[in-house]
Amino acid sequence: MIRFKSSIFVEYMMQRVKVTALALLLVVFSHGALAEYGNDVQIHGFITQGFIHTSDNSFFGDSENGSFDFTELGVNASYRVTPSILVSGQVLSRRAGEMSDGSPSIDFALVDWTAFHSEEWAWGLKVGRVKNPLGLYNETRDVAFTRPSIFLPEQVYFDRVRDLLLSSDSVHVYTRHYTDMGTWSFDFGVGVGTVDENVEIAFLGRNFTGEMDTEGLAYVGRLGFETPDGVWRLALSGAQVELEFDPDGSDPFGDGRIDVGYWAVSAQYNAERWSLTAEYIEEPVDLMDFGTPLLDEIGDITAQGYYLQGSYLLRNDLELVLRYAEGFLEKDDRNGSRRAALTGIPAHRFFGKDWMVGVRWDVTPSFMLRAEYQWNNGTRNLSLRENPDPNATEENWEMFSLLGSYRF
Amino acid sequence: MLHRRWWLLFLLFASMARGDQALIAHPAVMKRDLSLNTARLMFSMQMPQWSDGIPVRVFVLPDDHQRHRDFAKNLLNLYPRQLRRVWDRQLYSGTGQPPETVGSEAEMRHKVAATPGAIGYLSSEEIDDSVQVLNIR
Repeated sequence: MIRFKSSIFVEYMMQRVKVTALALLLVVFSHGALAEYGNDVQIHGFITQGFIHTSDNSFFGDSENGSFDFTELGVNASYRVTPSILVSGQVLSRRAGEMSDGSPSIDFALVDWTAFHSEEWAWGLKVGRVKNPLGLYNETRDVAFTRPSIFLPEQVYFDRVRDLLLSSDSVHVYTRHYTDMGTWSFDFGVGVGTVDENVEIAFLGRNFTGEMDTEGLAYVGRLGFETPDGVWRLALSGAQVELEFDPDGSDPFGDGRIDVGYWAVSAQYNAERWSLTAEYIEEPVDLMDFGTPLLDEIGDITAQGYYLQGSYLLRNDLELVLRYAEGFLEKDDRNGSRRAALTGIPAHRFFGKDWMVGVRWDVTPSFMLRAEYQWNNGTRNLSLRENPDPNATEENWEMFSLLGSYRF
Repeated sequence: MLHRRWWLLFLLFASMARGDQALIAHPAVMKRDLSLNTARLMFSMQMPQWSDGIPVRVFVLPDDHQRHRDFAKNLLNLYPRQLRRVWDRQLYSGTGQPPETVGSEAEMRHKVAATPGAIGYLSSEEIDDSVQVLNIR
């Protein structure tokens, strides 16, 4: 047992070493390159460490006893080849309790070509692994400095199935139209989604021997509008992904398909010292051809989530944030009673409602500290992986979290 | 005559309201003025080149520098936080690079004077012949 644990530790440390080596290499490279190319080559990165303590249930590790299992480490490099061509990539190591072990992954790696640019219009292409432009935060969701809080509102930005909507290996066309009223932007991408086993667990209940993978093409798009002063930001975005389950002989069901859609309406108002943000999403999920009545019949649902968030700048370096969020696995069964009767799983697994208050302190422009408290009713956001027995979860639970983040 | 005096007074107030600073550029930049929208697009790193094709090189002071705050607020009508938000969004999605940060106004003047296509800002008393002042229309 002890050996088992220590080998996991060694593996974890090895990953850390690899990421650090990569980061050092990039820094060395950048110092050599910067001298030669000026501003054309840039290297940036961030490291974030969180601490989570919950009254009940597990969220990002063994949080009932206090968990440090939340680390985000990213290094990115970009090279401006010409004024209209940018090549960029980011390596991300993310440790999130049982959901993610910190193995480095390619967060994005792309060529962005602005084919046409004037004072009124821009047209371009992005090719490679591109972050999906969904809602206001998805593209930079793992960078603490860009989030409004320690955790993004889980009811809209799910952590249990984050990979499904995170990025895609794809081709995107985009256009921007600059007017005196504001900037219109449109982005549309076609490609192959990236999926991990958290997606399978979220949809099928656990990680089976068979393989879950994306099938066919994934589509993602966003229409956005922003006033020139940045006061208003509005967006309409959506994605469509198809998954296929390829069962092993021992699995209890056939080779089923899952159609997943996602669409979001987003609005933000930024005044000098305060801002208001609201987002609403629906996620239609359809499970088909699994050959078991439970999955096929009740697997046709539309999940729903929304939040309203206000922030206030007390001082230039001190911000308060308050948020209320609600989310439902099936929008026509908001208290979960119907699904509870069908599955025998407690009703509170099918919804989540929470209040959150937090504070952000920008100690320097590149170092930030945060503290938050959250009151939860419902357990829909909890990962099955971290809470395998639904009957052992508590309906009402509270969470305290801390976070420190440094960037360069 | 009276009209002219009022007009001068208005200009004086307008310049005071905008703070005692100016948008500056490398002396070889062909433009003499920029529209407010173009200036905002350049400083938010969304306008990669001048109309003659030369790359735009943006220099800024740190986010918490008073001159940076005043420039963003008074000349661009933006809050510094919004500039940072736009830069971060581009940087961490691989679609853009943030501007180069300089440590002082002296360094700003030196870098803008030495870099073709450069754009930045300075307080009036820091401006000399090595850079040119651009008006925001």
